[in-house]
Amino acid sequence: SLDDPQSSAVANLRSDHFEMEPETMETKSLTEYFSKMHRDVMRGMA
Amino acid sequence: MEASCLDLALEAERLCKVGDYSAGVSYFEAAIQVGTEDLQVLSAVYSQLGNAYFHLHDYSKALEFHHHDLTLTRTTGDRLGEAKASGNLGNTLKVLGRFDEAIVCCQRHLDIARELGDKVGQARALYNFGNVYHAKGKSVCWSGAEPGDFPEEIMTALRRAAEYYEANLCIVKELGDRAAQGRTYGNLGNTYYLLGNFRDAVASHEQRLLIAKEFGDRSAERRAYCNLGNACIFLGEFERAAEHYRRALQIARQLKDLAVEAQACYSLGNTYTLMQDFERAIDYHLKHLIIAQDLNDRIGEGRACWSLGNAHTALGNHDQAMHFAEKHLEISKETGDRSGELTARM
Repeated sequence: SLDDPQSSAVANLRSDHFEMEPETMETKSLTEYFSKMHRDVMRGMA
Repeated sequence: MEASCLDLALEAERLCKVGDYSAGVSYFEAAIQVGTEDLQVLSAVYSQLGNAYFHLHDYSKALEFHHHDLTLTRTTGDRLGEAKASGNLGNTLKVLGRFDEAIVCCQRHLDIARELGDKVGQARALYNFGNVYHAKGKSVCWSGAEPGDFPEEIMTALRRAAEYYEANLCIVKELGDRAAQGRTYGNLGNTYYLLGNFRDAVASHEQRLLIAKEFGDRSAERRAYCNLGNACIFLGEFERAAEHYRRALQIARQLKDLAVEAQACYSLGNTYTLMQDFERAIDYHLKHLIIAQDLNDRIGEGRACWSLGNAHTALGNHDQAMHFAEKHLEISKETGDRSGELTARM
């Protein structure tokens, strides 16, 4: 309440405003896949 | 035909790497239109398209493409691809609040990673598991309870989250993966905080801070200072909390992130209120108010007015207190905040 600034401030701070780290998404790289394909072709030609 | 699909997809990948997800989505969609018989390429396109939609916060589209990827990898017997699709699907289901389905995906990710002897995959699956249980715990309404004093259902989910983060830490330490350790320490710190283990929370966030500094990751550093401040408040260490929030504010200003600058000012205002230093509290709450007005954030503005009303009341500035109480009442009515309206009327 207005008479109790301390408890109101604590209540606000508790209001779940902590910050999470980002999610880690799995990646399937086409660049790597393309490079590998290219290497395989070059090896086949050698 | 085939090269053209790959060309479009490679351009899409390049655009996503530089953060232009909208343009990336257009190129990936075009690549799908052209089509390919190379199922590895198709799997990568589905997966990256799902991730692009995830970054754009279009989670139903993200779900659709990660689901296509899962079906495809299962059909072709691509176990590593299936593990990755499961991980991405789990993350998406978590954001959508579909925790039980997310848990099934995390388990599949973990099982396949173990089967393949893939330590990196295992660690990532454990981290995702922790995130799902943490979000599950947070999603249940705790109606005003203090951290550490939530209903048993919430505490169980949070304890499981901590167990998964701790298991993840064992592996990423073994692998020497400092970036992954940093992320886990951050989320583990927040989990300890909700469990009411504030000392452990501080220890975790200090580790997170150390690693953020190693990488020069200013955003992560700011997050760590903010989370450290929160934990110190619950330990009653207000001066230390204020010091952490001041660092968070300094970085927010350097990063020119107004929303987080406002949050840091608000936290500092509350901390000085707890220290009964009402002049400083007013200074920070006014800073918060100005930014909230700039951002047209009416809820933030209402909170600032309410806090300013409290601080002026404590100083005996009745006219000022009345001015901010009236502003708070006006904003509460406008935003439909019934409890704010009732508080303001008092």
